Amino acid sequence: MLARHAESLFWAGRYLERAEGTARLLDVTYQGSLQVAGSEGRDVWAHVLDVLRARKEFDRRGRELDEGAVCTFLVTDRRNPGSIVSGVARARENFRTVREHLSSEMWENVNRFHLDLQARDIAADLTGEPYELYDLVKVRCQTLGGVAAQSMPRDETYSFLRLGWMIERALITCRLLNVNYASLGHDDYDALLLTLRSASALEAYRRSFQSSTNPIHIAAFLLQSRSFPRSVLFCLQRAEHSLENLAGLSTTRNRAQRILGRIRSQLEFTDIAEFITGDVRATLDALEQSICDIADVVANQYFRVGSEYSLQSQFVLPGEAMV
Amino acid sequence: MTHGFFDGYLTDDFFDEAFEADGVPRPHYRQLIERFASLGEDDIRHRRQLGEDVFKARGITFTVYGEHEDIERTWPMDLFPRIIPAAEWEVIERGLAQRVTALNRFLDDIYVGEQAAINDGIVPRWLITSSSGFEREAVNIPVPNGARCLVAGIDLVRDRDGVYRVLEDNIRNPSGISYVLENRAAMMKVLPAAFREHRVRPVDQYGRALLRALRNVAPPAAGDSPTVAVLTPGAFNSAYFEHAFLARQMGVELVEGRDLVVDDHVVYMRTTGGLQRVDVLYRRIDDAFLDPVVFRNDSTLGVPGLMAALRAGTISVANAAGNGVGDDKAVYAYVPELIKYYLGEEAIIPNATTYLLWDPDQRNHVLDRLDQLVVKPVAESGGYGIVIGPKASDEELAIVRHNILNDPRNYIAQEVVSLSRSPSFTDDGLAGRHIDLRPFVLTGDRVEVIPGGLTRVAMRAGSLVVNSSQGGGSKDTWVLAPIGQPIDPPVEDDDVRDEELG
Repeated sequence: MLARHAESLFWAGRYLERAEGTARLLDVTYQGSLQVAGSEGRDVWAHVLDVLRARKEFDRRGRELDEGAVCTFLVTDRRNPGSIVSGVARARENFRTVREHLSSEMWENVNRFHLDLQARDIAADLTGEPYELYDLVKVRCQTLGGVAAQSMPRDETYSFLRLGWMIERALITCRLLNVNYASLGHDDYDALLLTLRSASALEAYRRSFQSSTNPIHIAAFLLQSRSFPRSVLFCLQRAEHSLENLAGLSTTRNRAQRILGRIRSQLEFTDIAEFITGDVRATLDALEQSICDIADVVANQYFRVGSEYSLQSQFVLPGEAMV
Repeated sequence: MTHGFFDGYLTDDFFDEAFEADGVPRPHYRQLIERFASLGEDDIRHRRQLGEDVFKARGITFTVYGEHEDIERTWPMDLFPRIIPAAEWEVIERGLAQRVTALNRFLDDIYVGEQAAINDGIVPRWLITSSSGFEREAVNIPVPNGARCLVAGIDLVRDRDGVYRVLEDNIRNPSGISYVLENRAAMMKVLPAAFREHRVRPVDQYGRALLRALRNVAPPAAGDSPTVAVLTPGAFNSAYFEHAFLARQMGVELVEGRDLVVDDHVVYMRTTGGLQRVDVLYRRIDDAFLDPVVFRNDSTLGVPGLMAALRAGTISVANAAGNGVGDDKAVYAYVPELIKYYLGEEAIIPNATTYLLWDPDQRNHVLDRLDQLVVKPVAESGGYGIVIGPKASDEELAIVRHNILNDPRNYIAQEVVSLSRSPSFTDDGLAGRHIDLRPFVLTGDRVEVIPGGLTRVAMRAGSLVVNSSQGGGSKDTWVLAPIGQPIDPPVEDDDVRDEELG
């Protein structure tokens, strides 16, 4: 497969996961803001920006940080490469350049998704009741995941797509925990609801820990769960699986595999209570950075073939300085 | 016989594809007309909408380059197909194969042969060397089987008497075949019953036929299964959809210049598994952009070193560099002579009447009748720069006159062909609209004509301009199988991967 195509797929996966994560985060935050709750007075919309590492990009717009501005920025702002509308448009554009590798179902679904968003009066959604919009984005992204799984052979195309998808998902969950960790505990049930719902984790969490508000339990679940599909560990395992498919029958592990394997096993076999003591923010920052490092290594290994090839990636999401 | 739905339909003073002058349906359209007459207006509206939805959902679009912003438009297909009966097509097919064979012989003669056609006085030498399509860099670079125009799109029109004529040859990078296949796929969804009633010859063998032809021109060193790739300028090109479509139909990579490197005269593509050698490039970028070392050095679309690799014989490109000399519109005028010269045959499909403007007598004749003729620049394609005398303003005619006197080599004039019309669904209901036809001809180890081609429609009333960027539409083109012969073409090479229409 062409190196450029592999990169397009990797980023299409990331854009779609980012769109879904953003929709969920906005949906949960919006719902949470409807009732008087413990989160009252807390800067929930700033938190949304932080989870997406989009604060700087937002500040450059010079707008006051309120619900309307944040939602517009994260949903429709075309200059924000991570906004839902531009993410879906970019995913479609990337898929268009690799059209010949995709199943027709895959292409037609992403194309329709994009066209539906284009045809929709999103400004009206955001000033009125945004539930339908967020639901549409979530369902369409999940549908795409399902269509990919049901219609595409498990080849390089699928592996690069999944790899981007899983790395973005791991990053979002990791940052979600990082941003919200300080507010957890103190028997704050609202903070728990907000955090877990933002990862679509509430029901699954309850089956493991019932209604425990212990931050360690929440951290353990979001970081270490072996069965929950949005836990960082679960995503890294799936990413590892994709890398294995890409490496084929090679007898030794390549660099990307070694680094990912190290991070994954550290996370898998560590005692979470120890992992999370001390400066939690610094620990989770470091974890986030090492996931970004994996993406860099993958880029160097697969997307930068041939010496004089430009090292600048044409793809970006806010909050990342990937080379 | 009455056909309520077609009652108000007028053929006016044109050759109508579906109706005789007295309003009686032509025999090969009779069944289709009855089918449409049996559908209600609501049903037809529904089917037209369905057709548009199909194209939209599949993302079949083309880009219109605008002043401020490029616009993505959904491909327009008219619900009323064009039908060509078997006997008529048989003649067209022979005529096209004949013409493309002669053009290939001519190009090979010019670039790697003895230039016999020049030496024998068929075409003047100065005409060739002054052609902007003549590429000195392509001299002495042979192509296996002499298949220099591997893909040809020959534009045909029918005049007032229903006679098919060649309007122009497109042997550089003719586009449109993807729309032929997509039109067919869409029509089979929106008008399935009509297919049952006709014996329509399929077109979806194109991908395998193209791959077969491309493999056929691979350098001998490539071995039994040469690596083929499609070279595109990129996603912002207006024909990008077609480039991706063809790569998908053939199951080969779609590469851009930046995906390729030349090392020691060998061309490689950068893949996730390292560098992989390429044997044949089906390139869809113009000569001028192929190789910045040799041609435009400001081009980032091409591949530095590609021409040297071609000269070293490690790779083939299709269509060959330098084909522009063959579809130079002044050279076009000589094609009937070239057919006679190389093949010893009379041209089966005539040209449109054409005047060469460096000849003083022809030029004077043209200047006297400028308001009745069509004037075309010789090296343009896609309808650019054409002035239609009867529709032009006095200022436009004055400019044309000036241009001709200034550089007579650079223009030709043709009699206006009164293009045939076909019933078409317009905003004002069913009405006759002018159409043309671009059939596609492949040359590998043999010549293959794809049944039908792209029928383009000038959707504006009275307009002769069929280009999609200027409000043109298209029609599915049905070539009927001869009675008593199998519809499907014989399957020949199973090693070529067949792909479902994506």
